[in-house]
Amino acid sequence: MRGLGQLTIEPFDASQLNPNSYNYRLGPKLGIPVFAADGLEFEFIELPEEGYVLKAQTVYLGHTVERLGSNYFAMSLIGRSSLGRLGLFLQVSANLGHTGSCHQWTLELVAAKPFRIYPQMKIGQISFWTNAGHVDLYREGYSSFDDPQVSKLL
Amino acid sequence: MILTGPTIRREVQSGRINISPFRLEHVTSNSYDLTLGPGFVRYTEEIIDPAKPNRYHTFHAGPEGIRLGQGDFLLGHSAEVLGSDHYVPIIHARSSVARLGLFVHVTADLIDIGSHGNVTFQLFSTLPITLTPGMRIGQVSFWKPLGKVELYRGKYQGSRGPRPSEVYKDFWSDTDKR
Repeated sequence: MRGLGQLTIEPFDASQLNPNSYNYRLGPKLGIPVFAADGLEFEFIELPEEGYVLKAQTVYLGHTVERLGSNYFAMSLIGRSSLGRLGLFLQVSANLGHTGSCHQWTLELVAAKPFRIYPQMKIGQISFWTNAGHVDLYREGYSSFDDPQVSKLL
Repeated sequence: MILTGPTIRREVQSGRINISPFRLEHVTSNSYDLTLGPGFVRYTEEIIDPAKPNRYHTFHAGPEGIRLGQGDFLLGHSAEVLGSDHYVPIIHARSSVARLGLFVHVTADLIDIGSHGNVTFQLFSTLPITLTPGMRIGQVSFWKPLGKVELYRGKYQGSRGPRPSEVYKDFWSDTDKR
Protein backbone atom coordinates (compact mmCIF):
# COMPACT_ATOMS: atom_id res chain seq x y z
CA MET A 1 0.00 0.00 0.00
CA ARG A 2 3.01 2.28 0.52
CA GLY A 3 3.91 1.80 -3.16
CA LEU A 4 0.40 2.96 -4.06
CA GLY A 5 0.87 6.12 -2.04
CA GLN A 6 -1.86 5.16 0.39
CA LEU A 7 0.36 5.35 3.45
CA THR A 8 3.53 7.15 4.56
CA ILE A 9 6.49 5.59 6.33
CA GLU A 10 9.48 7.93 6.03
CA PRO A 11 12.29 6.87 6.16
CA PHE A 12 11.35 3.33 5.07
CA ASP A 13 13.54 0.24 5.41
CA ALA A 14 12.16 -3.06 4.06
CA SER A 15 14.05 -4.99 6.77
CA GLN A 16 11.68 -3.45 9.35
CA LEU A 17 8.58 -5.03 7.77
CA ASN A 18 6.74 -7.79 9.66
CA PRO A 19 3.97 -10.02 8.28
CA ASN A 20 1.31 -7.51 9.48
CA SER A 21 3.13 -4.43 10.72
CA TYR A 22 6.20 -2.21 10.44
CA ASN A 23 8.75 -1.75 13.23
CA TYR A 24 9.29 1.94 13.97
CA ARG A 25 12.29 3.43 15.73
CA LEU A 26 12.74 5.63 18.79
CA GLY A 27 13.63 9.25 18.00
CA PRO A 28 16.32 11.28 19.80
CA LYS A 29 14.18 13.33 22.23
CA LEU A 30 12.84 12.08 25.54
CA GLY A 31 10.48 13.80 27.98
CA ILE A 32 11.18 13.01 31.63
CA PRO A 33 8.41 13.63 34.18
CA VAL A 34 9.21 16.18 36.86
CA PHE A 35 6.90 16.64 39.81
CA ALA A 36 7.04 20.38 40.42
CA ALA A 37 5.26 22.28 43.18
CA ASP A 38 2.52 23.37 40.79
CA GLY A 39 2.05 19.95 39.20
CA LEU A 40 3.51 17.65 36.59
CA GLU A 41 5.96 18.90 33.96
CA PHE A 42 8.14 17.16 31.40
CA GLU A 43 11.80 18.02 30.94
CA PHE A 44 13.22 17.17 27.52
CA ILE A 45 16.67 15.68 26.88
CA GLU A 46 18.55 14.27 23.89
CA LEU A 47 18.98 10.54 24.37
CA PRO A 48 22.68 9.68 24.74
CA GLU A 49 24.19 7.02 22.42
CA GLU A 50 24.96 4.75 25.38
CA GLY A 51 21.28 4.74 26.29
CA TYR A 52 19.18 6.05 29.15
CA VAL A 53 17.67 4.02 32.00
CA LEU A 54 13.94 4.51 32.55
CA LYS A 55 12.75 4.20 36.14
CA ALA A 56 10.23 1.43 36.68
CA GLN A 57 6.54 2.23 36.34
CA THR A 58 6.95 5.87 35.33
CA VAL A 59 5.70 7.41 32.10
CA TYR A 60 8.18 9.02 29.71
CA LEU A 61 7.39 10.72 26.40
CA GLY A 62 9.33 9.76 23.30
CA HIS A 63 8.66 10.01 19.58
CA THR A 64 9.12 7.96 16.44
CA VAL A 65 11.99 8.54 14.03
CA GLU A 66 9.60 7.93 11.15
CA ARG A 67 6.82 10.12 9.86
CA LEU A 68 3.88 7.72 9.88
CA GLY A 69 0.43 8.30 8.48
CA SER A 70 -2.31 7.56 6.00
CA ASN A 71 -5.35 9.20 4.44
CA TYR A 72 -6.81 5.75 3.67
CA PHE A 73 -6.20 3.61 6.73
CA ALA A 74 -6.58 3.97 10.48
CA MET A 75 -3.48 3.01 12.41
CA SER A 76 -2.58 1.18 15.56
CA LEU A 77 0.75 1.89 17.28
CA ILE A 78 1.76 -0.79 19.75
CA GLY A 79 4.91 -2.26 21.28
CA ARG A 80 6.96 -5.12 19.88
CA SER A 81 6.60 -8.57 21.40
CA SER A 82 10.39 -8.73 21.87
CA LEU A 83 10.21 -5.66 24.13
CA GLY A 84 6.87 -6.55 25.69
CA ARG A 85 8.60 -9.76 26.80
CA LEU A 86 11.02 -7.46 28.66
CA GLY A 87 8.20 -5.42 30.20
CA LEU A 88 8.23 -2.23 28.09
CA PHE A 89 4.80 -0.69 27.48
CA LEU A 90 4.42 1.54 24.40
CA GLN A 91 1.33 3.78 24.32
CA VAL A 92 -0.73 3.72 27.49
CA SER A 93 -3.94 2.16 26.13
CA ALA A 94 -4.26 4.90 23.47
CA ASN A 95 -2.93 3.04 20.46
CA LEU A 96 -5.35 4.33 17.82
CA GLY A 97 -3.91 6.57 15.10
CA HIS A 98 -6.60 8.52 13.28
CA THR A 99 -6.95 8.47 9.50
CA GLY A 100 -5.48 11.66 8.05
CA SER A 101 -2.73 12.26 10.59
CA CYS A 102 0.88 12.05 9.39
CA HIS A 103 3.84 12.97 11.62
CA GLN A 104 6.41 11.62 14.04
CA TRP A 105 4.18 10.12 16.71
CA THR A 106 4.52 10.85 20.40
CA LEU A 107 5.21 7.64 22.30
CA GLU A 108 4.29 6.96 25.91
CA LEU A 109 6.83 4.61 27.44
CA VAL A 110 6.32 2.76 30.75
CA ALA A 111 8.70 0.02 31.87
CA ALA A 112 7.68 -2.66 34.36
CA LYS A 113 11.31 -2.84 35.59
CA PRO A 114 14.18 -0.35 35.16
CA PHE A 115 14.89 -0.42 31.43
CA ARG A 116 17.66 0.93 29.17
CA ILE A 117 16.48 2.57 25.96
CA TYR A 118 18.67 3.66 23.05
CA PRO A 119 18.05 6.27 20.35
CA GLN A 120 17.23 4.64 16.99
CA MET A 121 16.21 1.31 18.57
CA LYS A 122 13.30 -0.51 16.90
CA ILE A 123 10.84 0.08 19.70
CA GLY A 124 7.32 -0.55 18.45
CA GLN A 125 5.16 -1.58 15.53
CA ILE A 126 2.43 0.10 13.50
CA SER A 127 -0.40 -1.71 11.72
CA PHE A 128 -2.89 -0.26 9.21
CA TRP A 129 -6.63 -0.93 9.24
CA THR A 130 -9.27 -0.61 6.54
CA ASN A 131 -12.04 1.89 7.32
CA ALA A 132 -15.72 1.12 6.94
CA GLY A 133 -17.75 4.19 5.96
CA HIS A 134 -17.01 7.77 4.94
CA VAL A 135 -13.61 9.06 6.10
CA ASP A 136 -13.38 12.53 7.69
CA LEU A 137 -9.64 13.24 7.76
CA TYR A 138 -8.16 14.13 11.14
CA ARG A 139 -6.33 17.46 10.88
CA GLU A 140 -6.33 18.80 14.39
CA GLY A 141 -5.07 18.20 17.88
CA TYR A 142 -1.70 16.51 18.05
CA SER A 143 -1.67 15.40 14.42
CA SER A 144 0.81 17.94 13.07
CA PHE A 145 3.66 17.66 15.59
CA ASP A 146 6.95 15.80 15.20
CA ASP A 147 8.47 16.42 18.65
CA PRO A 148 7.10 14.57 21.67
CA GLN A 149 3.96 16.46 22.71
CA VAL A 150 2.93 16.86 26.33
CA SER A 151 -0.74 16.33 27.11
CA LYS A 152 -2.90 19.43 26.49
CA LEU A 153 -4.60 18.66 29.79
CA LEU A 154 -1.50 19.84 31.68
CA MET B 1 -12.82 -7.66 9.73
CA ILE B 2 -13.13 -9.62 12.95
CA LEU B 3 -14.32 -13.24 12.99
CA THR B 4 -17.39 -14.21 14.96
CA GLY B 5 -17.47 -17.14 17.39
CA PRO B 6 -19.28 -19.50 14.97
CA THR B 7 -16.75 -18.62 12.24
CA ILE B 8 -13.82 -19.29 14.61
CA ARG B 9 -15.37 -22.71 15.32
CA ARG B 10 -15.83 -23.42 11.61
CA GLU B 11 -12.29 -22.33 10.71
CA VAL B 12 -10.78 -24.50 13.48
CA GLN B 13 -12.74 -27.44 12.11
CA SER B 14 -11.54 -26.71 8.56
CA GLY B 15 -7.92 -26.37 9.73
CA ARG B 16 -7.52 -22.71 8.76
CA ILE B 17 -7.14 -21.80 12.43
CA ASN B 18 -4.99 -23.93 14.73
CA ILE B 19 -6.12 -24.07 18.39
CA SER B 20 -5.05 -27.17 20.28
CA PRO B 21 -6.54 -28.42 22.51
CA PHE B 22 -9.84 -26.90 21.33
CA ARG B 23 -12.87 -26.75 23.62
CA LEU B 24 -16.21 -25.67 22.21
CA GLU B 25 -17.19 -24.00 25.48
CA HIS B 26 -14.23 -21.56 25.18
CA VAL B 27 -15.72 -19.94 22.06
CA THR B 28 -17.26 -16.52 22.76
CA SER B 29 -19.08 -14.02 20.47
CA ASN B 30 -15.84 -12.75 18.89
CA SER B 31 -13.00 -14.66 20.54
CA TYR B 32 -11.70 -17.86 22.08
CA ASP B 33 -10.71 -18.05 25.77
CA LEU B 34 -7.09 -19.02 26.44
CA THR B 35 -5.93 -21.03 29.43
CA LEU B 36 -2.87 -20.34 31.59
CA GLY B 37 -0.12 -22.99 31.36
CA PRO B 38 2.12 -24.07 34.27
CA GLY B 39 5.47 -22.53 33.24
CA PHE B 40 6.76 -19.06 34.21
CA VAL B 41 9.85 -16.93 33.64
CA ARG B 42 11.13 -14.20 35.92
CA TYR B 43 13.96 -11.86 34.90
CA THR B 44 16.63 -11.51 37.58
CA GLU B 45 18.44 -8.41 36.21
CA GLU B 46 18.41 -5.16 38.17
CA ILE B 47 18.13 -3.20 34.90
CA ILE B 48 16.68 -4.70 31.73
CA ASP B 49 18.92 -3.97 28.74
CA PRO B 50 17.43 -4.99 25.38
CA ALA B 51 20.86 -4.82 23.68
CA LYS B 52 22.09 -7.77 25.79
CA PRO B 53 20.76 -11.15 26.94
CA ASN B 54 18.93 -10.65 30.27
CA ARG B 55 19.25 -13.34 32.95
CA TYR B 56 16.11 -15.10 34.10
CA HIS B 57 14.92 -18.20 35.88
CA THR B 58 12.18 -20.59 34.82
CA PHE B 59 9.79 -22.29 37.25
CA HIS B 60 6.53 -24.21 37.32
CA ALA B 61 3.49 -23.46 39.46
CA GLY B 62 1.67 -26.23 41.28
CA PRO B 63 -2.12 -26.51 41.40
CA GLU B 64 -2.17 -23.92 44.23
CA GLY B 65 -0.90 -21.33 41.73
CA ILE B 66 1.50 -18.43 42.19
CA ARG B 67 1.09 -15.14 43.97
CA LEU B 68 2.04 -11.97 42.12
CA GLY B 69 2.69 -8.84 44.13
CA GLN B 70 1.81 -5.32 43.09
CA GLY B 71 4.04 -4.31 40.16
CA ASP B 72 5.36 -7.83 39.47
CA PHE B 73 6.37 -8.72 35.93
CA LEU B 74 6.54 -12.36 34.78
CA LEU B 75 6.21 -14.29 31.56
CA GLY B 76 3.62 -17.06 31.39
CA HIS B 77 2.19 -19.01 28.50
CA SER B 78 -1.02 -20.36 27.07
CA ALA B 79 -1.76 -24.05 27.54
CA GLU B 80 -3.00 -24.01 23.93
CA VAL B 81 -0.94 -24.09 20.77
CA LEU B 82 -2.30 -21.32 18.58
CA GLY B 83 -1.79 -19.94 15.09
CA SER B 84 -3.22 -19.32 11.64
CA ASP B 85 -1.88 -18.94 8.11
CA HIS B 86 -5.12 -17.18 7.11
CA TYR B 87 -6.06 -14.79 9.93
CA VAL B 88 -4.20 -12.45 12.27
CA PRO B 89 -4.67 -13.39 15.94
CA ILE B 90 -4.82 -10.58 18.53
CA ILE B 91 -4.63 -11.44 22.20
CA HIS B 92 -6.50 -9.73 25.01
CA ALA B 93 -7.00 -10.25 28.70
CA ARG B 94 -10.37 -11.58 29.76
CA SER B 95 -12.22 -8.61 31.11
CA SER B 96 -12.67 -10.43 34.44
CA VAL B 97 -8.89 -10.62 34.76
CA ALA B 98 -8.35 -7.02 33.62
CA ARG B 99 -10.85 -5.86 36.28
CA LEU B 100 -8.36 -7.28 38.80
CA GLY B 101 -5.62 -5.05 37.39
CA LEU B 102 -3.69 -7.71 35.50
CA PHE B 103 -2.13 -7.07 32.11
CA VAL B 104 -1.62 -10.26 30.05
CA HIS B 105 0.45 -8.53 27.39
CA VAL B 106 2.62 -5.44 27.46
CA THR B 107 1.13 -3.55 24.47
CA ALA B 108 2.23 -6.32 22.05
CA ASP B 109 -1.10 -7.93 21.30
CA LEU B 110 -0.60 -8.62 17.59
CA ILE B 111 0.45 -12.16 16.65
CA ASP B 112 2.05 -12.45 13.23
CA ILE B 113 0.15 -14.41 10.62
CA GLY B 114 1.86 -17.79 10.23
CA SER B 115 3.24 -17.85 13.77
CA HIS B 116 2.27 -21.08 15.58
CA GLY B 117 3.01 -22.00 19.20
CA ASN B 118 2.09 -21.38 22.80
CA VAL B 119 1.39 -17.68 23.32
CA THR B 120 3.81 -16.03 25.75
CA PHE B 121 1.82 -13.93 28.21
CA GLN B 122 3.54 -10.78 29.48
CA LEU B 123 2.05 -10.65 32.96
CA PHE B 124 2.11 -7.32 34.81
CA SER B 125 0.05 -7.05 37.98
CA THR B 126 -1.06 -3.69 39.30
CA LEU B 127 -2.62 -5.38 42.35
CA PRO B 128 -1.66 -8.56 44.24
CA ILE B 129 -3.22 -11.54 42.46
CA THR B 130 -3.06 -15.36 42.52
CA LEU B 131 -2.78 -17.09 39.16
CA THR B 132 -3.62 -20.77 38.82
CA PRO B 133 -2.59 -22.98 35.90
CA GLY B 134 -5.72 -23.96 33.99
CA MET B 135 -7.55 -20.70 34.65
CA ARG B 136 -9.02 -18.89 31.66
CA ILE B 137 -6.79 -15.84 31.62
CA GLY B 138 -6.95 -14.41 28.12
CA GLN B 139 -8.77 -14.46 24.84
CA VAL B 140 -7.77 -14.40 21.21
CA SER B 141 -9.64 -12.74 18.36
CA PHE B 142 -8.99 -13.33 14.64
CA TRP B 143 -8.78 -10.64 11.96
CA LYS B 144 -8.87 -10.89 8.19
CA PRO B 145 -5.72 -9.52 6.48
CA LEU B 146 -5.77 -7.19 3.46
CA GLY B 147 -3.24 -7.94 0.69
CA LYS B 148 -0.70 -10.62 -0.11
CA VAL B 149 0.31 -12.72 2.89
CA GLU B 150 3.91 -13.45 3.82
CA LEU B 151 3.96 -15.91 6.70
CA TYR B 152 5.96 -15.38 9.88
CA ARG B 153 9.40 -16.98 9.93
CA GLY B 154 10.77 -15.25 13.02
CA LYS B 155 12.72 -16.34 16.04
CA TYR B 156 9.77 -17.25 18.27
CA GLN B 157 8.23 -19.76 15.81
CA GLY B 158 7.06 -23.01 17.43
CA SER B 159 7.33 -21.71 21.03
CA ARG B 160 6.50 -24.09 23.85
CA GLY B 161 6.23 -22.59 27.33
CA PRO B 162 7.11 -18.96 28.10
CA ARG B 163 9.69 -17.58 25.64
CA PRO B 164 11.98 -14.85 26.99
CA SER B 165 12.93 -12.02 24.64
CA GLU B 166 15.67 -12.66 22.09
CA VAL B 167 15.71 -9.07 20.88
CA TYR B 168 19.48 -8.78 21.59
CA LYS B 169 20.10 -11.08 18.58
CA ASP B 170 18.95 -8.48 16.08
CA PHE B 171 18.82 -5.36 18.23
CA TRP B 172 20.94 -3.39 15.78
CA SER B 173 20.29 -4.27 12.15
CA ASP B 174 22.97 -4.23 9.43
CA THR B 175 21.80 -0.82 8.30
CA ASP B 176 22.54 0.74 11.68
CA LYS B 177 25.71 2.79 11.86
CA ARG B 178 27.03 1.25 15.03
